Amino acid sequence: MQKVNKNVVLAVLSLTSLVFLLFQLYYYKFHLSQKNGVVFSKARGSQSGQDSTRWHVVRKFLGLISSHNIPVYLIDPLILGLVDKDIEQIRSSADGPSPECKYFCAPRDFTTFALLDKAWKHEVGLFRTAEKMGFQWLKVLNKDPRLDGMDDLSGTEIPLHYIFKLSSHAIHLVVFYERSGNFLWHGPLRLKQHVDRKFVPFRKLHFGRYPGAYEKPELLLVSIDDLKVQIPKNPSSFLEEMSHSRFLECRYREARAFFQVYPDDASFDAVEFRKKAKSLLHLAALTLNNLGVKFWLSSGTCLGWYRQCSVIPYSKDVDLGIFIRDYKADIIPAFQKAGLPLKHKFGKVEDSLELSFQGDDDVKLDIFFFYEEDDYVWNGGTQAKSGKKFKYLFPKFTLCWTEFVELKVHVPCETLQYVEANYGPDWKVPVKTWDWKNSPSNVQYNGVWPVDEWDEVIQIY
Amino acid sequence: MTMDEWKHNPIIKPHKKRSWYLAWKYKLMNQRALRKLCQVIHSQARGGLGRIIWGLQAYGADVGVETGAVLFLLVTVIVNIKLILDTRRAAYEEEEESAQNYDDEMLNVEAPRHPVSNKKVLDVEVYSSQSKVYVAVDGTTVLEDEAREQGRGIHVIVLNQATGHVMAKRVFDTYSPHEDEAMVLFLNMVARGRILIFTIKDEGSFHLKDTAKNVLKSLGSQVAPFLSWRDMWTFVGKKGGEVYGEKHAKSPALSTWGDPVLLKTEVHLTSVEDAECHWPDTELNRRRRRFCSKVEGYGSVCSCKDPTPIEFNPDPLKDNKVFDVPVAVIAGNRPNYLYRMLRSLLSAQGVNPQMITVFIDGYYEEPMDVVELFGLSGIQHTPISIKNARVSQHYKASLTATFNLFPDAKFAVVLEEDLDISVDFFSFLSQSIHLLEEDESLYCISAWNDQGYEHTAEDPSLLYRVETMPGLGWVLRKSLYKDELEPKWPTPEKLWDWDMWMRMPEQRKGRECIIPDISRSYHFGIVGLNMNGYFHEAYFKKHKFNTVPNVQLKNVESLRKDAYEAEIHRLLGEAEVLDHSKNPCEDSFVPDTEGKVYVMFIKMEQEADFTTWTQLAKCLHIWDLDVRGNHKGLWRLFRKKNHFLVVGVPASPYSSKKPPSVMPIYMEPPAKEEGAVAVPAVAAAEQT
Repeated sequence: MQKVNKNVVLAVLSLTSLVFLLFQLYYYKFHLSQKNGVVFSKARGSQSGQDSTRWHVVRKFLGLISSHNIPVYLIDPLILGLVDKDIEQIRSSADGPSPECKYFCAPRDFTTFALLDKAWKHEVGLFRTAEKMGFQWLKVLNKDPRLDGMDDLSGTEIPLHYIFKLSSHAIHLVVFYERSGNFLWHGPLRLKQHVDRKFVPFRKLHFGRYPGAYEKPELLLVSIDDLKVQIPKNPSSFLEEMSHSRFLECRYREARAFFQVYPDDASFDAVEFRKKAKSLLHLAALTLNNLGVKFWLSSGTCLGWYRQCSVIPYSKDVDLGIFIRDYKADIIPAFQKAGLPLKHKFGKVEDSLELSFQGDDDVKLDIFFFYEEDDYVWNGGTQAKSGKKFKYLFPKFTLCWTEFVELKVHVPCETLQYVEANYGPDWKVPVKTWDWKNSPSNVQYNGVWPVDEWDEVIQIY
Repeated sequence: MTMDEWKHNPIIKPHKKRSWYLAWKYKLMNQRALRKLCQVIHSQARGGLGRIIWGLQAYGADVGVETGAVLFLLVTVIVNIKLILDTRRAAYEEEEESAQNYDDEMLNVEAPRHPVSNKKVLDVEVYSSQSKVYVAVDGTTVLEDEAREQGRGIHVIVLNQATGHVMAKRVFDTYSPHEDEAMVLFLNMVARGRILIFTIKDEGSFHLKDTAKNVLKSLGSQVAPFLSWRDMWTFVGKKGGEVYGEKHAKSPALSTWGDPVLLKTEVHLTSVEDAECHWPDTELNRRRRRFCSKVEGYGSVCSCKDPTPIEFNPDPLKDNKVFDVPVAVIAGNRPNYLYRMLRSLLSAQGVNPQMITVFIDGYYEEPMDVVELFGLSGIQHTPISIKNARVSQHYKASLTATFNLFPDAKFAVVLEEDLDISVDFFSFLSQSIHLLEEDESLYCISAWNDQGYEHTAEDPSLLYRVETMPGLGWVLRKSLYKDELEPKWPTPEKLWDWDMWMRMPEQRKGRECIIPDISRSYHFGIVGLNMNGYFHEAYFKKHKFNTVPNVQLKNVESLRKDAYEAEIHRLLGEAEVLDHSKNPCEDSFVPDTEGKVYVMFIKMEQEADFTTWTQLAKCLHIWDLDVRGNHKGLWRLFRKKNHFLVVGVPASPYSSKKPPSVMPIYMEPPAKEEGAVAVPAVAAAEQT
């Protein structure tokens, strides 16, 4: 009797645990298939070699947007990379059917397209049609940065990203906006609380980790894999641009707080200086961009951008930084041609080079050349009368785009470290008397130029 | 099911572990509920296992047959533990990562929507007295006015019969004339079925005419026809339906008011379907439905049977040079004006709705509803400063935002909410905008002629150059704004009018504006910061407004700086000098001809001497509050369909055209004591 009981108990226990086990495995499977569809679909793709789902979804999507007259263009980096290899062939090839599906059939979770905001009206009809076609869609809104700089306009939200999902494939549609400074901007992809985080594997998206800045691309209508799509005319330069596209928004909120504490100078002189500094910066940017020399806002100009989103009215000059590896001998003649005579030249290409050009009415353009060492970068300074050399040290940095006085320019992405290196932890407090030899917190005495070199390394005009 | 089968299940293959983790990583947050559920399951499973293990220890040694079961149970334990560990670790990683990335750092939680109460009955309280009125719906005060010397008359509130939401709030000062007409107009626009609440503050009967009383009677009021001086009155009823309550207190004597009355009543709500119209389900009608269920007082746009269109599709313009020019509509809280304005704007030929942005000064809902009704974009502006400075700051923010939103634009069209826009407004701009681009001596193009009244404007194809900036529908050059105006725009503490500031010589720097003879905008607003009824009647009502489509402007090139001088000289050369012995204010001063050009000369000692001009403007009933429409001491207008030129001598460079025999007319300003009426005096000395 007892034995029977034991067996019964054991059997009951086993059964219970079996039920639990089944339940857990079921849950496990369910859970995985929800978010791990990626893995499975990939496996499926590799089995069949090609994933025609993607091709069909892209075709449907192109049909959808063309039925609403919405001009989109392909910016998918993986496809553009493939396309770039065959670009000559694609450009010249007629509309004939392509022998194999080369581009749109590689199994991926996403295909990325771009849309110019101003090229379409925000019609609800598009989404209704999309739904009828079986697409699920997601819209990612955020504040309009073009109005963010204005303290008192309610942050109207604008669509930054759309995702259209059909079966296992999704179309990521990035919305590009025109910004002051004649460039295109796309926003970051940030999900709000109520958004379904499993809608697509967001982390795999190529666009949206950071906002980005791009030139307005020239487009080309091509037929690839029997699909007619617009692509950037020069895919390789687009891809190159993409790799350095990270955009930093000015810190408008902090700038407002700064002006609360230190009210802005609205005097005639301040207004005039800002106007001149702005036009000098525009001229400098034009000149350097034409030469293809990469530059960034440095010193006081960078501080002005970072701290108050404007030119510091008492700074009296415009400061730019250039890596010495980007130095070109044409820089001086190009500026002279642009109407900015050389004012002085300190140092030489090998060491502590610094150029200064004379703008209108005493506004000076200073260009500092930065030398890269293993774990820091530095630029040099020279005192004309004594031949003393100074060295300004900065932590290593990368470059980001930003918008400043209606211009797309570079700033160090790690701006805080850069500014702190230069101006110390109290950079938030305006200092009107600045001694470039002693005030910076990153200055180091760097010896004296040999007297016989003075003619070369200290040139004043 | 055997153990082998389980083992073969790919899910528990160890090499798959990595992809589980990847999967976990990419899985984004927010499925706490699900996780909680599995945790519950785990702990239950764990409890179960504990018991099983305990059972094994107790009975394990017993029978060999049971070894299989034990092994099986062991597998269960392993799978369980693994699952728990995986889940925990993945959940932890996930939390970490998503906290860093891809989450809106602003924690933009959507405000929970107010659940629409299922209650079918609303409690309504209405109070009427000499000094205070209030209306409460379900305990929420929707109107309260106890301000002194304000809010006199009949207050009207419209509620949605399905939701109980306030759709409109108005006060009609029916103590004053014509306000009752406005009330009738408003009540007629309210849709049938809406709930109307009336209450009188102070006095509401003095100019409440029979028409209005009859309308109130038709709504079911029994007291309205007999309302008299200083009576207190409250009324709640459904338009075209039942009466929910009415209370009245008669004023016992002329010098006293009726006793305060408080009406408490219940209103039965209807279903949403009954409260809405059955328009076909289109994109436009969805906008219409949203609008019409929220606000009232817009008339036929919410009519069920034959709603007025909200999309206009005017003819496109051929070769439209202003299609890509952004249009900034500057608005305050006058949604009815905005509605009228946007209708006319969207009906103008060549309009591009995508370029229109409405800037609303303040967080007002109703203007935004109007903007959305028309499918336009609107931006609200936190009010800064007060009065004029507030308007000025709103202008600045709006202009800056416009050029930020349309960085490619070289110009912006600036409009205000109280303007009608002429059908050929964009055609007018399209034909003239190149001048603003090419002629540096131009300050703006304006659609408004300050001196263009019914009796002084004639030619829709004619343009002028003037030294003043009329505003009221104008084009601003981006470079002017960005380089000159924006950096030194008056700061909030300076209580300046933006337009006055823009007219100052420091800003205008001698540049001129181009205006049409017949205005392309019409200023209909009477309730504004700087407006009152009398002022509007006197200065704006008789303004001429072009209604002819597709006017071909003549001789646009002659508006360029130098060409215009040649044109003026040509005109003066051909002009007939009027008889300066006559009174210029009299009609007979100008002969009864048509299409001729006449010139008169007035005294103008130096550039800023406008003594005679101001008197002349007064008697001609044109703008005389300050000097407008002049060009180098010359004014151009029409009298009796003749072009009429006025030259200020000797300040104007055109004085040389004056025949030596003619004495310029001098008109003395009225002596201060004489009051406001100007009597033009023609100096005897002028007659030679």
